[in-house]
Amino acid sequence: MMKRFDLELAVGLFIIAGVICLGYLSIKLGKMEVLGGRGYEVYAIFSNVGGLKTGSSIVIAGVDVGRVKSIILDDYQAHVVLNLPEDLKIQEDAIASVRTKGLIGEKYIEITPGGSEKIIEHGGRIRETQPAVDLEELISKFVFGKI
Amino acid sequence: MSRSYFYRSIVPILLFIGMTVPAVAGEPTEKIRQTTDKILSILGNPALRDPSRAKERRKLIRSAIDERFDWEEMVRRSLATHWAKRTPEEKKEFLRLFSDLLERAYMGKIEEYSGEKVRYEGEAIDGEYAAVKVNIATKKNKDIPVEYRLKKDRNDWFVYDVSVEGVSLVNNYRTQFNSIILESSYENLVKKIKEKLAQK
Repeated sequence: MMKRFDLELAVGLFIIAGVICLGYLSIKLGKMEVLGGRGYEVYAIFSNVGGLKTGSSIVIAGVDVGRVKSIILDDYQAHVVLNLPEDLKIQEDAIASVRTKGLIGEKYIEITPGGSEKIIEHGGRIRETQPAVDLEELISKFVFGKI
Repeated sequence: MSRSYFYRSIVPILLFIGMTVPAVAGEPTEKIRQTTDKILSILGNPALRDPSRAKERRKLIRSAIDERFDWEEMVRRSLATHWAKRTPEEKKEFLRLFSDLLERAYMGKIEEYSGEKVRYEGEAIDGEYAAVKVNIATKKNKDIPVEYRLKKDRNDWFVYDVSVEGVSLVNNYRTQFNSIILESSYENLVKKIKEKLAQK
């Protein structure tokens, strides 16, 4: 009687451990933040985000520092909320641009730090933004011209 | 045509261009228009066309630009994290170098202006910041979107950035200055700019 109970217990624990590992792996691979993200949130308005997605990277000096938390259409522009590390300071004149990995890869946000002494507070806005550049449109414009 | 060539040839023309009749223009747009008209009248002045007066003409154009561009703000934004570390003398020197650098890069092109049509496509004002959207129709019938970013100071508006096709001038120099300073030094950046200016 005892032996079977032990066996069932062991199997049960093993399965629970397996599910936990699976869960951990999915979350890690899915790049989700388990505890709801880091402390510093700012937003920026872009005229065109070119297919940027929630969960896209935010990069400073080539380093992945955060994730795009949400993208909402607001007055026909993209209102993008950025989730950044709490100890990061973004200056008032920092510039956020939508860039592409490689030339035709996925989109991400690059932030170049500014020179102002004022720091954008949590919930504040990065005023200076650059939209995604539509490369195809640009090429076509300058290869073929307009009618 | 390579993109950098295009950028370098169009930007100066676009920095100060001719006007067309606007739809609804607010104050920032008016300021851009004023400066543009001023420069155009200098360019159009037959008396100044004489090569002996070329230097004088450049000076006049440059001072019209100086009235509208907030060089200190542009330099602060371009040097970014490296601005605070500069001494007042260094800041003064860099201000002069930066504006001369831009003049050297674009003055020739401004002087080549020949009637490109400009449309004022609207402005957005947010407190003491404004963006004026403009569209240039080049000879080859291409539409080039330009955006001036202005800041209000003592009841006047000053340009602190110009974007062409969504590419910011400040961001462009910010990235380059940053990498030169980090790879070598601020002194080396100054040296490079001085060398470039001496090339004439």
